[in-house]
Amino acid sequence: MQEEEIIAGLRARDRKTTEYLYEKYSRALFAVISRIITDQDIAEEVFHDAFIKITRKIDSYEESKGRLYTWMANICRNSAIDKLRSKEISQTTKTNTIDDFVFGLESQSGTMEQVEGIGVRELMNQLNEDQRFIIEYIYFQGYTHSELSEEFDIPLGTVKSRVRAALQVLKKNLERI
Amino acid sequence: MNIQEYIESGKLELFLLGELTEREREEVIAMAKAHPQIQEELDALEQSMFAFDELTGKKPSPQLKEKIFASLEEDFKKEEAPKKAPAPNPAPVETKVVKLTPWKSFAAAASLVAVLASAAAIYFAGKFYETDQKFTALLQDQQVMADNLNQVKLQYEETDNRLDRLVAGDFRRVEMKGEALPMQKDAKVDVFWDQKVQEVFVAVNNLNSLSEEFDYQLWAIGKDGPVGIGLVNPGEKFTLQQMQAVAEAGAFAITIEPKGGSQSPTLEKLVVLGEVA
Repeated sequence: MQEEEIIAGLRARDRKTTEYLYEKYSRALFAVISRIITDQDIAEEVFHDAFIKITRKIDSYEESKGRLYTWMANICRNSAIDKLRSKEISQTTKTNTIDDFVFGLESQSGTMEQVEGIGVRELMNQLNEDQRFIIEYIYFQGYTHSELSEEFDIPLGTVKSRVRAALQVLKKNLERI
Repeated sequence: MNIQEYIESGKLELFLLGELTEREREEVIAMAKAHPQIQEELDALEQSMFAFDELTGKKPSPQLKEKIFASLEEDFKKEEAPKKAPAPNPAPVETKVVKLTPWKSFAAAASLVAVLASAAAIYFAGKFYETDQKFTALLQDQQVMADNLNQVKLQYEETDNRLDRLVAGDFRRVEMKGEALPMQKDAKVDVFWDQKVQEVFVAVNNLNSLSEEFDYQLWAIGKDGPVGIGLVNPGEKFTLQQMQAVAEAGAFAITIEPKGGSQSPTLEKLVVLGEVA
């Protein structure tokens, strides 16, 4: 299904389209949330609310302002960050790191999930120290770039160029899959 | 504005992460509209973010899907009852008599085209692979260069910062020399000391390098005897190395100490000494 068809289907409150959307994106969108929120139950709760929000707010989505996935991922990411900063969760969970996350994936599925030959760990190992740091804080701990700059005293421009460098490495390696 | 620079500014990534202000967002959207290259980069980045999320994700539990769809149930438009519209009458099939065409020559032509196309495909696949390899190598080179640039930038920022402090502060220069000492006659190291804000920098002018087991240690000698205020790297010549804070000192000196420094100086290995004027 093309993106326009999905959007039109969602706007028409069509069940099949919603199911298609779920099948196609739930894994990635849930990843956005569960990277930030380690507790599986809370992550599912956040995803439940975020997914419903996506289907209900589809009318306010404007195609001209960005692609569908970006819009959805941002809703999920923001919901997760909001949750992470709310009182009920901040005391109980530890900070999430790439290693914890990869370890979690490994221990859950028994063996490392391999997607056509390249694993998450392998992908992460392609990053240098600075890039790993950036991905860890932005993707796994829900920092914004300006928070990162302030907290670790890294100039804003440097954060920006490192975000870019890190995503370029991921992009390059994902293209090879 | 240079499009490539714009792409490399990191703005597109932040756009996708939803971290730009409304004004900046609009700017990115306008730029992407005006320059297909920027739109392409945006799409490619989004694609790789999706691929990354997909790769690092595990599926939410099946119960969750049920729960979500239960919550959504009333949102869905009732599916319309299947229409009872009669199935369109199948068009009467006409059995036309088609004259036999000289199929053999067509088949021969077709297979020739197929062979040529395959050969071309193999050739271009090879070319593509080669180019792709080169491209990946180039990207990696570019990555390394970008990283280097970043490091240089950071170093520059640090140096600039120190220079600012040096110019703005009230620094006294204390020359430490090795002339009167047996260790290294031509040794020369300068201390820059701002007593008010208690900051000390050293700049190595001339100092022999040491073997692995030893370090140069800087001492501030005050009323209470010498206090170790840091290790001096003899390799970093003519740069400012920041030492620990000192409020009171009559002289500065450097000795050779076992790696990591000592609690009190080994006076036999005094290399340079300079009194605060």
